[in-house]
Amino acid sequence: MTPASSNPHHWSRIRETGSAAGIRAMVWIRRRLGRLPFQIMLTLVIAYYYVAHGLHRRASHTYLKRLWQHRHGQPPRHLTWLSLRHFRSFGQSLMDKIDAWSGIPPNVRFDDESRRHFLDAVGSGRGGVMFVSHVGNMEICTAMSDLREDFRATLLMHTRNARQFDEVLARSTHRPHPPEIIEVSEITPSTAMTLGRRIAEGGFVVIAADRVPISDSGRARTLSFLDHPARFPEGPFWLASLLRCPVYTIGCFRDDDGYRVDFAPFDDTSALGRRERSAWLDAAMQRYVDWLTRQCETTPLQWFNFFPFWLDCDDAHPDGDSETTPPPR
Amino acid sequence: MTTTALEHELKELIIETLELEDVTADDIDPQEPLFVEGLGLDSIDALELGLALQKRYGITLESDAESSRQHFANLKSLAALVEARRVK
Repeated sequence: MTPASSNPHHWSRIRETGSAAGIRAMVWIRRRLGRLPFQIMLTLVIAYYYVAHGLHRRASHTYLKRLWQHRHGQPPRHLTWLSLRHFRSFGQSLMDKIDAWSGIPPNVRFDDESRRHFLDAVGSGRGGVMFVSHVGNMEICTAMSDLREDFRATLLMHTRNARQFDEVLARSTHRPHPPEIIEVSEITPSTAMTLGRRIAEGGFVVIAADRVPISDSGRARTLSFLDHPARFPEGPFWLASLLRCPVYTIGCFRDDDGYRVDFAPFDDTSALGRRERSAWLDAAMQRYVDWLTRQCETTPLQWFNFFPFWLDCDDAHPDGDSETTPPPR
Repeated sequence: MTTTALEHELKELIIETLELEDVTADDIDPQEPLFVEGLGLDSIDALELGLALQKRYGITLESDAESSRQHFANLKSLAALVEARRVK
């Protein structure tokens, strides 16, 4: 298998959101000219990306075909149209991100059950780990710290691209209660200790568990997702088990007039013994993938992993299978 | 080679936290590497140990990976860390 560190199509090597100048221009248009000119501009940018970025386009096509096959037993009938809408939905999420970071409160709705779970979680004072994914808009999740003063989120990020986007946004926008972002290339004891302290203070650690970080490709497992093999990171699950705390899943999904929050208890690792961990990890990772599958089925066009996600898709091994040495650990 | 009270306490903490059944405090040489060689602990054990130290002594660490490695090199360096940073 190709180690992630040498794979040019690994997600962390693919620039997600264009140049800093481009982002600044879009933020300027959004803030100075308003929503409509921004939407028009965004549509043009998205169309350009669709045509010019074959890798993203193929990733979208593969995902849509696999999801449709899984859900309906056949590929989508209008793949190009569907994929364009998929790209558009990604553009929309970027716009919402800019709004959220600008301090424009997103229109966020909970259904009764999610609201009850969320209030219980924040009110318990026990903090916890929240698993998120790149389905929907995880920045909206952290923007909820603007909605509830006592909800404190620490977002754990692996990515170098996102830093560029966030730095630009941080300079261009002003927020009263920004979430804390901890950027890591690997989880060290010091990261774990910081997170442990946040949770002890009643805070929440938000981790995406659907991308394998580049430095950590050794600790990943292959699981079947939409009937095809894909790699999932063990790291978030190890952390959740080591931190001995309540674990939740959270997702924020766009619909016509705002965001719908899906928040649910996932597990509680407080009493999980050391020897039970491996078995817990097996089960928890499978349950996460099941949850991820449900999110894709519910909001098919909000899957924002525009890179070769599966081991058996066209762009997964761009430089062949010549390398067999495992990455250094 | 004398073992300080803190070193002994840390040995007990390591054995208890990592449930090292076949290891006694006397088996842990303060100068020997804790990880890979020596006790043969791995990176997950390091996280677990870090969290236990944080809980017991309220210690925080710099975020860079290199200083983590230095502090966690062996029992002596770990004891020096606790000595310098403990708040409880």
